Amino acid sequence: MYSNVVVPRQWTRLACLCRSLATIEGQKVPQTSKSSDGISPPPRIPRGPTDILQALAATVGNDPTAAHYKYHDDPYLIPLSNFRKRAYALSAEAGRKAAAWIRDEHAELFTTRVWDPPTKIKTPYFNADPKIEAFAPKPIYNDESKYFKLLGGVSGVNEELKLQFLQLLCFYNEREPDSMEWLEERWFSANMRDRQAATWRLGGLADQIFESMDPKTPEAYCAMIQGMAKYYQAERAHNMAQEAISKGIPLSTSVYNALIGCIGFLKEGTALRIEALKNILGQMNDQGISPNDETLSACLRSLSAWGGGKVLQQMALQTLAEFRQLGIQPGLAAYYYLLCLFCKERGPRFDILSTIITELEKKESLDAKEPADTNFFITAMGVCSDHLQDINMAERLHAILMKGDNYKLVGDAYKESIYYRHYVTVACRHAPFEKTLELLDTLIPNIYVPEPSVMEEIIKTLEVGGAGDRLAQTWSQLVVFGHGKRVKLVERLLEAMINTYPGQEPEIQSKMRAAAADMLDFGQAASEEQETKDIRSPVQKLSASAVCNIIELCSDTKDKADPNWKSVDEALSRLRREEAAGVPARPQALAEVAQKATTVGLPGIAAAAVTYLAECGFEEAMSASVRVLGTMLNRPEKEVETLLTEQHSSLAGSLHPAAQAVAEAYNLAKTGGPVLQDTERPSSSSDSDSESSSDDE
Amino acid sequence: MNTSIIKLLQSGFGTSSVIAQCSPILASQLHTSAPLCRVVSGKYRITKKRDRPLTYEMANPPHYIAHRKSWNSWNTSNLKDGLRRSETAVEDEFIRRFMNGTWHSLVCSEVIIKRQFNHIRVAAIIRHAVSPTKMYFLLGYSEELLSNWLQCPVTLELQTVDSFKDVVFKYI
Repeated sequence: MYSNVVVPRQWTRLACLCRSLATIEGQKVPQTSKSSDGISPPPRIPRGPTDILQALAATVGNDPTAAHYKYHDDPYLIPLSNFRKRAYALSAEAGRKAAAWIRDEHAELFTTRVWDPPTKIKTPYFNADPKIEAFAPKPIYNDESKYFKLLGGVSGVNEELKLQFLQLLCFYNEREPDSMEWLEERWFSANMRDRQAATWRLGGLADQIFESMDPKTPEAYCAMIQGMAKYYQAERAHNMAQEAISKGIPLSTSVYNALIGCIGFLKEGTALRIEALKNILGQMNDQGISPNDETLSACLRSLSAWGGGKVLQQMALQTLAEFRQLGIQPGLAAYYYLLCLFCKERGPRFDILSTIITELEKKESLDAKEPADTNFFITAMGVCSDHLQDINMAERLHAILMKGDNYKLVGDAYKESIYYRHYVTVACRHAPFEKTLELLDTLIPNIYVPEPSVMEEIIKTLEVGGAGDRLAQTWSQLVVFGHGKRVKLVERLLEAMINTYPGQEPEIQSKMRAAAADMLDFGQAASEEQETKDIRSPVQKLSASAVCNIIELCSDTKDKADPNWKSVDEALSRLRREEAAGVPARPQALAEVAQKATTVGLPGIAAAAVTYLAECGFEEAMSASVRVLGTMLNRPEKEVETLLTEQHSSLAGSLHPAAQAVAEAYNLAKTGGPVLQDTERPSSSSDSDSESSSDDE
Repeated sequence: MNTSIIKLLQSGFGTSSVIAQCSPILASQLHTSAPLCRVVSGKYRITKKRDRPLTYEMANPPHYIAHRKSWNSWNTSNLKDGLRRSETAVEDEFIRRFMNGTWHSLVCSEVIIKRQFNHIRVAAIIRHAVSPTKMYFLLGYSEELLSNWLQCPVTLELQTVDSFKDVVFKYI
């Protein structure tokens, strides 16, 4: 397709080549001899083809304010909750999978082939450039496809192919490996903890092939033993290893590593197991096989899997010291097993993490060598948070993870979120307040969306720090993260807001009021949604204390026209309809709200509050109603009290309906039942009351 | 966009196999209708009721390209000594049709195609008519299929708007 290259282009190319040759020539000179004018350019550094790209990439850091690059950069398409993050990434991958299916099923539609090397797909292109390979053949991992039979079965295949096939089968245990193509699925698949059960297929294809091999080569033995040990067929693996040794067949280091890994399946009891471990290591020594770093991590893995206790810990430290003498440094996986062994949840404190971190800080970059390497950071952060409760250690650990290319060791989405859960928790509990805020700002919401338990921790921190505006923001975060319907969290947040409310700037206070009013509306919308859409799981209602907190927050205004009074009214009516669980914890607050409402000039709300108090049977109802009525009627409290006690029946009809309601509430609180009857309403009134009733209108 | 080219292409664009076949023919016939283009192409007729919605891009006739509006295809094929002239034109048209068909009745603007090195970036404005999850599905699907057809990395760069009304510049 690039055929129309004309001759002049060739000439320019040639000239370009000459120029570059000249420059190379020019650069070589100063290497050997110093130039006469005193300028000595640095010696030439040989560069790889991607070095410039890597250098450019290194200048761009991560932007924590932007979503991950796998998400589309558009407000509508940026996910803000854990559920959405997962759903969006997986849907994009589902789309790619659908496309791949079309590509494989309808290969005749894909006629161009200029890719080199080609992608791995099942079907070759039709009518495509024959010079480029159509597809790389897929390896056979099991015998379900019967390809092996077609090739000639165990008798018809030559020994070399048999051995390679055997190695493949043993490595994958005759199962299709997880696809490397679909990254998101791997990233989001729930923690795939490898089951520690004997999954090796007895009498399978691998066994058949091994039987049929006539001169059983050392490679075949190694493959078989490793396969069995890897899939926990421990006894057979050990028997075969003994057989091989007695026949004088040399075994490799990795075979011994695999055998060490499954000692626990052979022996019971710590003492016997340690004995067996020492035996195997001794065997290695007898055979003249030198251990490697995988041997160390296999030893530690076995030791950590056998429980805890002084003996095992001693043994682990001995092993570590001996391997150090051999010049083998522990890797991340080894450190992970050490942490598992020493830092138990409720055990005594062991500060081995600080030495590990010091070791790791010395390294330029960390390489992933084993699958267990990805467990290190999450476990270490867990140790920082639960075991050591040390924020400095956590920060140092996080710095190591962020250094260079180390972030690849974080594992998958599940591990990442647990890592940050530990990190945020320890920061909230032990870090200085300013630092915690900084951390929260960088992590949330693009890198990490806190789970409810972490959210509670954050709210607690903000409450202690007295950050009112942050608490108001937290409400919107709760909604965005999908925690808005978690009543426990909302109640906790309201409590925190009430505690921090006094002493804030007026502007922040108004923000907090708005948030409280919004909580009420959100709850209303949620319950309406439940009614209309017939959702199974019932929406939990806010407790009465929480609603009281909302009322208290919203009522803090001196303006009669403030829309927050509407929220107060709504909340009160909800309380009276008994739509909130329990009774308020602080009735005193409601009494104060009633008083406030009266002074502002909203007697209806005051009456509702007092009546609710009386209906609930709080003692505060009496004093509150007296005070409210006193304010309404503009009389001293004493006078009102005598008025109420002596001639309550005569008050009826002459009062403003709200004032009357307050009076009724007083009686209700006093006697436990309404006293004023409808028939008594139109009775005569004293002249003093008729005067006073006019001033609240 | 050049209407005459579209008319020319419309006859034979069922499957992509046809693209490969007719690309040399197209290359030779591209300029035959130039005088007509100057008067009619890229301009929209005023309706009686004056209710035809135009986006900003549609509202500006072709001679405003590079003054008030910009190109819809960005590549170096049309420069002097440019490579793959006809292939680029045909591929661009193919991408446009694919986008309009896959994101059916969702695309609210012209599809902008930018080529850099071996990388094709496709930009468009999409309506919020389907859920974000479905949009992500379509994103992955179109990127994968297009990159298999065009044999190079394809990236979709979409912006979303609430409704088509948000992109209407005027009614004529």
